Amino acid sequence: MLSPGPADAQRAGRRRLHPVAAGAKPVAMQRDQDTPPGGSTPRKLIDGSFLFILALAVVSGLAVWVLKGPGRFWELLLRDLGFAAALMPKILAGVLIATALPLLVSRERILGLVGPDSGLRGLAIATAAGALIPGGPGVTYPLTVGLMGAGADLGAGVALVSGWVLVGLNRTLIWELSFLPPEFVALRVGLSLGAPVLFGLAVRHLLARKGGGR
Amino acid sequence: MNILIGTFLLWALALAMLSRLRRTAPDTVAELRARAFSTMAFMVPRLVVGLIGAGFMAELLPVGRIEQMFGESAGLSGIGLASVFGALTPGGPFVAFAIGAAALKAGAGWAALMAYVTAWSVMNLNRSIAYELPLMGRRFLLLRSAISLPLPLLLGVVMLLA
Repeated sequence: MLSPGPADAQRAGRRRLHPVAAGAKPVAMQRDQDTPPGGSTPRKLIDGSFLFILALAVVSGLAVWVLKGPGRFWELLLRDLGFAAALMPKILAGVLIATALPLLVSRERILGLVGPDSGLRGLAIATAAGALIPGGPGVTYPLTVGLMGAGADLGAGVALVSGWVLVGLNRTLIWELSFLPPEFVALRVGLSLGAPVLFGLAVRHLLARKGGGR
Repeated sequence: MNILIGTFLLWALALAMLSRLRRTAPDTVAELRARAFSTMAFMVPRLVVGLIGAGFMAELLPVGRIEQMFGESAGLSGIGLASVFGALTPGGPFVAFAIGAAALKAGAGWAALMAYVTAWSVMNLNRSIAYELPLMGRRFLLLRSAISLPLPLLLGVVMLLA
């Protein structure tokens, strides 16, 4: 499902530094050419992105070991391993949904809803989907990957993730309102409401101008 | 508790989709299993390493200082500062909103708070390393972050002018 994502981004990033210029085509467009709808291409299990995350973990782990002592290092390592283990059932459900989605819903349907030519309406739908998804990052990202594999373009992907981080219903209602004044929360949500669609539009325009996909 | 309910809802949806698939297109079930497995094999090592790395990085950041410094911030520079603190704040929504509430009590204005919460929402270094980079790839993360970058500052300025 993830196929062209990380590995391709990595290769593209090495060619040119500018992220927008680098990957000329939206992920969904690349899929069109080399794989059947929702198909999976072989991907490297160890690539540049993975090595980067690994290096970050090793360096910051060493820093914790030196600055805070081995005791704290093991404590944090075990805590986060436990957290990762607790997250797995949720991730698996997210992956199953993301994998089943392209098989259940026709590519034409998803292209029409949130594809590259879905216009403002498609970006609004993606934003609403992001705002309504009740899960955390372990669910929202796999779902975005699934939708992009099934026909959603990069603009819709960015709108979805932005809708989730900026106006996600779950987080706003449960967390933000418990801590911050309701007037402030309402104002923030109101001011942010249009941003995911604008971000999606910006992505589409940038990619079109760079002469890539759309 | 919230996590349990979310997981339950997701599994209900996943199982409903699987049983529908089994009824309408039974021949795709093997394919689904293979794809889900290869996706998990791709994601799990990245997620685990990302979560551990983000946890170590969070430990190295002086979270207590964030609260204190951003409580005293004001004006345009305060908005910039609050945005940086927002992007650096580790942990889940509990941490960020608690810091925001504490800063508000310590005297922070709504403009700085707006910049802080918005920057935490869109930039969030911790989430980027633990989840977005491993799952979405570098290109998606960099593109989305670059486009989102002005928003915290913009909303902060809007609040200052209002």
